[in-house]
Amino acid sequence: MSVSVRRIMRSDHVAGWAFAFPAVALIVVFGIVPILWSALMSFQKTNLLSTPEWIGLDNYRALPKDPLFKTSMVHAFIYAALFVPLSVGGGLFAAVALNRHIRGIRFYRLAVFVPVVVSTIATSIMFLWLFDPNFGLANWLLGLVGLGPFGFFTSSDGALYSIIAMTVWGWIGFDAIIYLAALQGVPNELLEAAQLDGARSWSIFRNITLPLLGPATLFLVVFSTINAIQVFDEIYFLTKGGPGTATYVPVLYLFKLAFEQGIAGYAAAIAYVLLVAILILTVIQLWVGKRMVYYAS
Amino acid sequence: MSMSAEIRDSAGALPALEEESGRDPRSDRFVFSWWHLVLFPLAFLMLIPMIWMIITSLQTLNETRHFPPILVPSSIQWQNYTEVLQRAPFARWFLNTLVVTVVVVAGNLLFCSLAGYAFARIKFFGRDVVFILVLATLMIPFQVIMIPTFIIVRKLGLIDTLGALIVPNLAGAFGIFLLRQFFRSLPIELEEAARIDGASRLGVLFKIVLPLSGPVLATVAVITFLWTWNDFLWPLITIYNPDNMTLQLGLTTFQGAHQTNTHLLMAANVMSVIPVLFLFFVAQRFFIRGIATSGLKG
Amino acid sequence: MPGLTFDRVSKEFPGGTVAVRDLSLAIADGEFMIFVGPSGCGKTTALRMVAGLEKITSGTISIGDRVINDDSPRDRDIAMVFQNYALYPHMTVYKNLAFGLKERKMPKDEIAIRVNGVSSMLGIDDLLTRRPAQLSGGQRQRVAMGRALVREPAAFLLDEPLSNLDAKLRVQVRGDLKRLHQRLGITTVYVTHDQVEAMTMGDRVAVLKDGLLQQVDSPRNMYDRPANLFVAGFIGSPPMNLLRAEARGGVASAGDLSLPIADLPDGDVVLGLRPEHLRPATDGQPSMEFQVEVVEPLGDGVIVHGTVSGTLVTAPSGDDEVLPRLAGERAEITTKFEPTLRPSPGERMRLAIAAHHVHVFDGRTGDVIVAAGA
Repeated sequence: MSVSVRRIMRSDHVAGWAFAFPAVALIVVFGIVPILWSALMSFQKTNLLSTPEWIGLDNYRALPKDPLFKTSMVHAFIYAALFVPLSVGGGLFAAVALNRHIRGIRFYRLAVFVPVVVSTIATSIMFLWLFDPNFGLANWLLGLVGLGPFGFFTSSDGALYSIIAMTVWGWIGFDAIIYLAALQGVPNELLEAAQLDGARSWSIFRNITLPLLGPATLFLVVFSTINAIQVFDEIYFLTKGGPGTATYVPVLYLFKLAFEQGIAGYAAAIAYVLLVAILILTVIQLWVGKRMVYYAS
Repeated sequence: MSMSAEIRDSAGALPALEEESGRDPRSDRFVFSWWHLVLFPLAFLMLIPMIWMIITSLQTLNETRHFPPILVPSSIQWQNYTEVLQRAPFARWFLNTLVVTVVVVAGNLLFCSLAGYAFARIKFFGRDVVFILVLATLMIPFQVIMIPTFIIVRKLGLIDTLGALIVPNLAGAFGIFLLRQFFRSLPIELEEAARIDGASRLGVLFKIVLPLSGPVLATVAVITFLWTWNDFLWPLITIYNPDNMTLQLGLTTFQGAHQTNTHLLMAANVMSVIPVLFLFFVAQRFFIRGIATSGLKG
Repeated sequence: MPGLTFDRVSKEFPGGTVAVRDLSLAIADGEFMIFVGPSGCGKTTALRMVAGLEKITSGTISIGDRVINDDSPRDRDIAMVFQNYALYPHMTVYKNLAFGLKERKMPKDEIAIRVNGVSSMLGIDDLLTRRPAQLSGGQRQRVAMGRALVREPAAFLLDEPLSNLDAKLRVQVRGDLKRLHQRLGITTVYVTHDQVEAMTMGDRVAVLKDGLLQQVDSPRNMYDRPANLFVAGFIGSPPMNLLRAEARGGVASAGDLSLPIADLPDGDVVLGLRPEHLRPATDGQPSMEFQVEVVEPLGDGVIVHGTVSGTLVTAPSGDDEVLPRLAGERAEITTKFEPTLRPSPGERMRLAIAAHHVHVFDGRTGDVIVAAGA
């Protein structure tokens, strides 16, 4: 082997690319290419089998006239509007409660964290049974305090909210973990100084702790919003968008369009609109966050 | 600072699951705390769906069709579990899921380590641009890419095989990001010393860097495991034959076929949840660290 | 106006560690009291008990006549400057200073008067709109002081406030603190591990070791009459030389030294000799043979390290237990001569030991047996 070839082979460029190639290739093929292809698809009419046909902006033009699309977007926003405050707020409450050094705290922390690792399907099955209108534990317990019985997933008024309750249950632990880490990052001395300054517990929490949790809160709000808008598994498993269209959400709609009805171009357009919606929401949240959140240097 | 302390710190702050008795000497752990009144109901709420699932899985069908619900079964129906195994290829689903998950985790550990190291330590043409591109994929929601990915996988002839579940997920941006951050935090002198001693780049990675990366590798492994094991939408799109289904998908068909056999459905669910719960208890620290660091990434 | 009183105060942590044992101490109103000692001696714990940040296991702490054991920190009218300042990072300097007053429901205009007054006194009035992250270490320290002062508390607690400052700032702030205290006259408790700070700043100094009060006295008295071996070795720089000796019939013998001392009981003793009291001998005085090893000229004197025959006692100084520095049967001692005297390394000379400069300590208990004269 000539000296120059050997030198090239030993060069950093070759080494770098050799190391990075498998992962990058996979990500390009299964990540970057699909992103671009999807954009292309949104301008096409295609059923995934025959050759696609270019139709320009027709898919996008059809969206505002599509009642199912509008319904699903409304549901996605309602979902996010409830899911985010409940799970983030609930997570904060749980984290504050879990930030103690009392006996048994390990048990309590585990109990709160466990739902996070249970899969969406397993959670749905659990709650399908828990919320069974006829034989479920929930209706029985609620009946003991004079409430219900509820239809939960079978009721067109209550299905979406039942699903929200279930997913909040599944995600509170995640928020709690993040908040717990953030809480433990608040220097104890600050709390002591505030005590000496004359502040009571609630005032310390509101004026010292909460502002210092700002970055965690911002992250959780952005992350939860993105997840909420994309909800799919639970809806597909429990209601398939029903009763009627009471729980129709965008990802469910585009899944049905692409893989059940073969209208893939339109589905791609919906996916991109959803992406833009998420981006806009995220940018707004980050902008608000920048003005309100203090970042410790 | 000692080496291990540096590495520990660079792996990120970790909410303490264990009590650190040295941390707050003022706390009096032996006095009744009012917080128990808050924590206990909270823990109860978190656990009740699972507890109820387990109880139901051990009841007879008749007992489940009873209102008010029977809280304590008259006898423990262990055979519900064996019946599930007979009625559906549950063991097969479990095996499929296990194979897919293990291969995906192994692939991620290998490819993301290689790529992460390259991004961290090797200056190569286009490195920063490519890294940003990789990071960008983290922010793209799955539904945007799922249709074309489906087509690609179909073109590769992998539809309805475990390959469809494995190949697209062999390397993810999450692992690359975490590992790159970690590698960058290690003191570079170690690697330089090894290279001077004659080790190749590959040798440095495998003999010096990776042995020091235990915690972050565990974190990537555990998070990837969790995500792969629980994945539903992608198997839903690509797998049709019950023999090739994963647990999550299989559970769905099981539920479809056994809607009224609640006791069996619960038993099936319990079996699907046990492996993840077990892993969680064993590797708590890494789950929690993985979740907490995804907060840092945000 | 109240003083601060410790009455048999003890602190035991769950797990068994006793941080403070039976501390009894009366701090006069307006006094500047310093707690000093090696790390782990309990000085910070004692301070935190005054603040209410640690529960008192037994004994009482009082401000004036009022026992404050059960008062929460916010009710004690005490302000504290933390070692790391503990400034609220997300608030401006103004808000940091105003926070305590706001919490006590002071009207806005009164707050403004106080905050502006304190900040101009401390020279931080042009920093009021900044955040702590934008300040230097010295500025942060002053803001921390301001936050404490603005409340006009009954007592003022400082936890090693100078330890995070660089050497030059430290000297300057030391002076500032003294001036401030002279001007305001607030009862102050100041914790430090640096005995130089303790000696230069305090009206009185309390030396603690392993939770026990060793001695409380004015700096001068503590220097001239240390109550035990620990205080003797802790206070003073270069530290006092401590030599093992045997006392018999009123004469202490160590190496080649025979020193008659009045009222000296028999037994094992330790002789304490301050470096500046060791001079070259003139004939007739009790003396020791001294072999010079290292000579360090300073501006106001010459530090000479050398050896004599004999055995040293090392007064445990806390975290680093120094091993007896022995060269064979020789003990290393340090002297401080006049600047004009400059021996050379290797030179042998005799050092005069004047009995009235010698502190004699019990060889077993470490307590002083015979105190040095004037």
